[in-house]
Amino acid sequence: MAEITLDKVVKRYGKLEVVHGIDLKIAHNEFVVLVGPSGCGKSTTLRMIAGLEDISDGAIRIGGDVVNDLPPRKRNISMVFQNYALYPHMSVRENLGFGLKIAKQDPKMIEERVAEAAETLGLDALLDRTPAELSGGQRQRVAMGRAIVRHPEAFLFDEPLSNLDAKLRVQMRTEIKKLHQKVKTTVVYVTHDQVEAMTLADRIVIMRDGNIEQVGTPMEVFDHPLNTFVASFIGSPPMNLLPATVRGGAVHFTDGKSLPVPSRLAGKVRDGQEVTFGLRPDDLTPQGHGIAEGGERAQMELEVILSEPLGTETILYTTIAGQEAQGKMYGPRPVSPGERLVFDVALEKAHLFDAATGRSVAAD
Amino acid sequence: MQTKRPPFWQREKYTPYLLLLPAILTILFVVLLPLIFSFYTSFTGYRLIRPESLWQWVGLRNYERIFGDDDFWAAFVRTIVFLTIALNLEFLLGLGIALLINKITWGQRTLRTIMMFPMMFSPILVGYQFKFVFNDNIGILNNALESLGLSDGAIPWLVDTYLANFAIIFAEVWMSTSVFAILLLAGLFAMPRDPIEAAKVDGCNAWQVFRHITLPFLMPFVFIAMTIRSLDVARAYDIVDVMTGGGPAGRTELLWTLIARTGYDNARMGQANAMGYISIILSIAFTYYFFTKLIASRRYMGGAD
Amino acid sequence: MRTPFRKTAGKVALWILTFVLMVIMCVPGLWVVLTAFRPNAEVLAKPPVWIPEDPGLTNFAKIFGFAADQVAIPVPSYFANSLIIALTSTAIALLIGMSGGYAFARYRFRFKNGIFLGLMLSRTVPGIALSLPVFIIWSKLGLIDTKPGLIIVYVALNVPFTIWLIDGFFRQIPKEMSEAAQVDGCTRWQAFWKIEFPLAKSGIASAGIFAFLTSWNEYALASNLTRSTDSKTLPVGLMDFTAQFTIDWAGMSAMAVIIIIPALILTFLVQKHLIAGLTFGGVKG
Repeated sequence: MAEITLDKVVKRYGKLEVVHGIDLKIAHNEFVVLVGPSGCGKSTTLRMIAGLEDISDGAIRIGGDVVNDLPPRKRNISMVFQNYALYPHMSVRENLGFGLKIAKQDPKMIEERVAEAAETLGLDALLDRTPAELSGGQRQRVAMGRAIVRHPEAFLFDEPLSNLDAKLRVQMRTEIKKLHQKVKTTVVYVTHDQVEAMTLADRIVIMRDGNIEQVGTPMEVFDHPLNTFVASFIGSPPMNLLPATVRGGAVHFTDGKSLPVPSRLAGKVRDGQEVTFGLRPDDLTPQGHGIAEGGERAQMELEVILSEPLGTETILYTTIAGQEAQGKMYGPRPVSPGERLVFDVALEKAHLFDAATGRSVAAD
Repeated sequence: MQTKRPPFWQREKYTPYLLLLPAILTILFVVLLPLIFSFYTSFTGYRLIRPESLWQWVGLRNYERIFGDDDFWAAFVRTIVFLTIALNLEFLLGLGIALLINKITWGQRTLRTIMMFPMMFSPILVGYQFKFVFNDNIGILNNALESLGLSDGAIPWLVDTYLANFAIIFAEVWMSTSVFAILLLAGLFAMPRDPIEAAKVDGCNAWQVFRHITLPFLMPFVFIAMTIRSLDVARAYDIVDVMTGGGPAGRTELLWTLIARTGYDNARMGQANAMGYISIILSIAFTYYFFTKLIASRRYMGGAD
Repeated sequence: MRTPFRKTAGKVALWILTFVLMVIMCVPGLWVVLTAFRPNAEVLAKPPVWIPEDPGLTNFAKIFGFAADQVAIPVPSYFANSLIIALTSTAIALLIGMSGGYAFARYRFRFKNGIFLGLMLSRTVPGIALSLPVFIIWSKLGLIDTKPGLIIVYVALNVPFTIWLIDGFFRQIPKEMSEAAQVDGCTRWQAFWKIEFPLAKSGIASAGIFAFLTSWNEYALASNLTRSTDSKTLPVGLMDFTAQFTIDWAGMSAMAVIIIIPALILTFLVQKHLIAGLTFGGVKG
């Protein structure tokens, strides 16, 4: 069993605390993605799991044993680094077999494992090259191969795709997912790219400033963000967040426009409460251009400032309460700037956050 | 639940100190300890031939005597002038040579290698080489001048005050210019093309490009070279010792040769150590100055932290 | 803009300048080398003999004691002393320098900058000023005129610069390399020897060559800490020639050539690494 548990884990550099006592349970064979903006403590957390950073406080368990004082080599994990960290003075074959050689394994067994990993990742033809002779994607594959040959209890990935160009990144993303389905091991994956997090993860851990903001499956964090940070971080284009006040069962914006309080949230707000109204662009669509009609709806007439056609949809920029808001037009037609359109607001998908705390009112 | 903490020497926190221990111990034993000792002796009337004089405390008398000594001041001023002329010449010549070699495409590697050689020469050899070149009787310089009919008698290169000092500076510059040339050339190679091209598009002429783009970029390299040079300015001792021995009649005496004469030939260790301290402070001041300049210019360039 | 004529003229000027430069760089050394291969009588001849008329190896034979009229200077033992002292001090300085350079390249710790500056400043102390107290202490310890006495001093002389260079070379190797090796099952010690050391090897070798040459060429300290054939090195021995009433220019030149040769060969080997090491350590801090 390779379950990984973090129990009130703290990291301090001198007086500066960068990870503030986080708790996390990662199940056997689960693919967990730590995501957040740079400096949120996600890489530090991963490096503490790997044993590359000391744990200042709390405990980390791998497979039930506390590993706080174990050096990386005794944790039975493997890691793929951001810059791959391939050993430049060794061939691909030697790179793959290095960990097993250090563990003084039988040469025949090393041979087999290397061949197996090479086959899994399509590296057979490259085994005798050196890292310098490989392309970016190939290096990435060797780095992954080096991780899988040892059959570790867990894989750790530290922003492994950030050095690849956009096209290759998408391709490698699918390969990582396929690899996980093939080898079935616990994976902890760090990235700052929320699309990567959404597509790869069984569960996403969203971090900010050394704290965990929310943990959940991709759909959970997308559909039920716990606070404005998660709401704005997950999803592209980001959720529109508009300041408003609740009065008499309606949400009033500063420019006098108002919308009814979504019925599922009706009992969760009080009169006079300052809130942030959250609505994804997908849920703000001109009439006749939404994906699904029906459901709880409200209408708003808005002026289009700018339109960005993307093919199957067009992003529309407008203003609500003096703030820029984005909507989407499916089955698009040309729109000219200044045009006024009536928009459908999908109220059943709208969110309300307390303005003072930023927390979702649905969560309390 | 927790495993036992490892003993302190295995803890990550102490590793760097442990790794540095041999280096620190060596420097303590061979440099710092002797320096403390010499600081003490600079307040005694210690003479090599009378060991008991090591305990003879004389206070500041050695320093007073030095500061009242014309020979010391002559050597001190000569050393400062010597360093100023030599370092500036080396910088200017080195910059010129670097720009020159940078322009040459054919045979550049060979030129660069040749440039390296003086850096690796023993100063004592450089001194000998120029003692030979400047010899009034059989030196290649006088021989050449006579053969070309440019002079009819033997020019006393190493005897005349001005000529001897010129010869010594020539040897010093010959030996050390390549430090500048090599490092500035490395700087020119590392220089990005974009700013130069941008400046040309913005309408700069060749001189303006050099003045406003190339030179500021080279400054960190200049200061590296200066720092490296100031580490071993005292190598000039070797050159002077072999070329003139500080003579004739002390006219090429530098601070360092004067120290050797006072300490070893006249056996006045206390006084020599007092002078030694002045030379040490001089060297440290030089190095520290250029080192802080280096740090500042690095920050100014912004690139590396 | 520029006329073809001006362009050509510029090129010619460039070449002439370079040529003059090379003459100044090379002629003094070449003259010493030529002198080493000709008899002393030819050196002293008036009018001068430019091209050696009777070149030979007699000067070398003389200083190494193979000729009939041997020079009274024990060059073979100086040579042996120089070699032993330079090699031993280089080996020790490299070990100390590797350990120290690694600490600076890989760890963050208190007083890091202070210690670095302190080590570098120790190198600025002029050899002659340092030689005075070392001379007194070494005489008390019985280290004067011994090889170990000079070796210890040269180790201290070389440690700061070796650390500076090696620090730079280790910095060029990403920290991730060693981390990857540790995750792969290495101890920090193994990660160093199997990954970081092989990658920095050529850089370390050039730091070693630089240290070797510093020891091989050193004069100010050696001339005061050595007395006899037990420990005198070649640069000190070279001065033996001038002590005589008539200078044996030919013999002295032959000895100079012996001192130069290792410098030439080793410089040629390390030039590339040395420039990289100096500038890298300096610019990237």
